[in-house]
Amino acid sequence: MSPQTQYTEAELVELLQNRNQQAFAYLYDHYCGALNGVILRLVEDRELAADILQEAFLKIWNNFSSYDVSKGRLFTWMINITRNLTIDTLRSKGYKKQRQISGDENTVSMVSENSAVPEQFDALGIRKQLVNLKPEQRRIIDLAYFGGFTQDEISRELGIPLGTVKTRMRTAILELRKMLQ
Amino acid sequence: MNAQEIISSGILELYASGLASADETAQVQQWIQQYPEVKAELDDIQLGLENYALAHAVAPEAGAKEKLFAAINAAADKTITAVPLMQTTNGVAAPVVPIKNYWKWVAAAAVVLLVGSTILNVTYYNKYNTAAKAAEEKDAQLAAINQKEKSAQSDLDVVNNKYSLPVNLNGQQNSPDAKAKIFWMTNTGDVMIDASNLPDAPAGMQYQFWAIVDGKPVDGGLIITTDKGKKYHFQKMKAFGRAEAFAISLEKEGGNPVPTKVVSTGAVCKI
Repeated sequence: MSPQTQYTEAELVELLQNRNQQAFAYLYDHYCGALNGVILRLVEDRELAADILQEAFLKIWNNFSSYDVSKGRLFTWMINITRNLTIDTLRSKGYKKQRQISGDENTVSMVSENSAVPEQFDALGIRKQLVNLKPEQRRIIDLAYFGGFTQDEISRELGIPLGTVKTRMRTAILELRKMLQ
Repeated sequence: MNAQEIISSGILELYASGLASADETAQVQQWIQQYPEVKAELDDIQLGLENYALAHAVAPEAGAKEKLFAAINAAADKTITAVPLMQTTNGVAAPVVPIKNYWKWVAAAAVVLLVGSTILNVTYYNKYNTAAKAAEEKDAQLAAINQKEKSAQSDLDVVNNKYSLPVNLNGQQNSPDAKAKIFWMTNTGDVMIDASNLPDAPAGMQYQFWAIVDGKPVDGGLIITTDKGKKYHFQKMKAFGRAEAFAISLEKEGGNPVPTKVVSTGAVCKI
C-alpha cells in the first residue's frame, strides 16, 4: 500500500470536485469501513451489502458536485447517501418497511476478526473510548444515524414519548462527543 | 432564537443524525449560514457521529476497491455519460450526450469525399458525353456499313442465284465503252442490271433498257446512272418471260416508246 497522504477535509473536497481519483482512493480507504458498517447493520446478506457499498461509492463519485460544503461535513453527506441507498435497495427487494437493525455485537466481532481494517483510522481505539456510552444512548444513535428511523419510529421502538426523542438524542451525542475528546 | 438557544435546543443533533423534518432541515441550513458558532457546533456534532461510525467500521471484502475503480474507469471510458446532477423539471436525470470527437473528423472526411466525388462526377460526365458521341458516330458508320454489306449481299445473291443467266452487253461502234452486264432470272423473268460500267449519260439524256422479243424491242425501263449510289448496285428492270437479246439505248430524259440510239447490245446464249 502506498504511503498515505493526509488531506484536510477542504483539500479532499476540492480534489474530489476536480475528479481526482487519488483523492477518491483516499476517501475510500478512509471511509469504506464506516459506510460498510452502516450497510451491515441493515443488510444480513454480505453479497448484497458489497453491491450496495460499491453502488454507494459510485454515487458519491458521480454525484460529487451535488455535495454542498455549507450544509455540513462530507461524511454526513456520504452516510446519508449510503443509508438511503441501503433502505431503498431493501424496499425494492421486498423487505418492506420492516427494518431490522442489528446490535453492534455482530459488528464488534467483525471488526476484531478482520485484520484487514484500514489503518488510516483506529476503529478499535475509538471503540475503547466509547465503552462508557450507555446502551440506550447507543441504541438511539444507531436507530437514527445507521437505521434511518424517523422520530415516530424511534418513539415507538424505544417506547418513549415523541417529544423526548430530541432531548435523548442531544444527551447521547453530547456524551459521545465528551468521550471522544 | 439566538445561537446559544439553537445549540441547546437539540435541533442540530436531530439534523446531524438524520431525524430532522424538511422544515427543520431548512431552518438549520439557514442558521448555519447565519451563525458561525452554530456552524461550528454542527461540525463538531457531525464529527462526533463520524467517529462513532468509524468506530463501527467493518472492512469490505477483498477486491472491493479494485472493482469500484474498475467500474469508475469503465464509466469514464464511455463517452456517453448520463450526468445525474443535470435535473430536468420533472426530476428525471437528463442524459448529456457529448459529441464524440472523432465525429468531427468523420464530418471533415465526408466533406472532402463529397468534393472529390463532385469533381469525379464532372470529369466522368464529360467523358461519358464524349464516349456517347463517339458511340453514336460508330453506330452511324456501322449502319452505313451494314447497309453496304446488305446491298453487296443482295448483289451477290443475284450472281449466285442458280437460275440467274448472265448476259454481257457490249458497246456499239457509236459508244464502245457502253458496257453492261445483266442477270436474267430464268425462273421468275426478273432482270437485274449492273450499270456500273456505263458512262454517265450526257445532260438531258437517259439510258433506256430494252428486251428484244420476237425481233422487236420492248421497253424494259429507264436506267439510272446519275445517282451514284444506285449506279453501283444492281437495278431491277422489268421482267421478261422470254427474250432473244437485251439492249441499251440513249434516249431523251423520260425515255421513248421505241429506241432511237442503241448503244449496247447482248444476245442471250440459250443453254
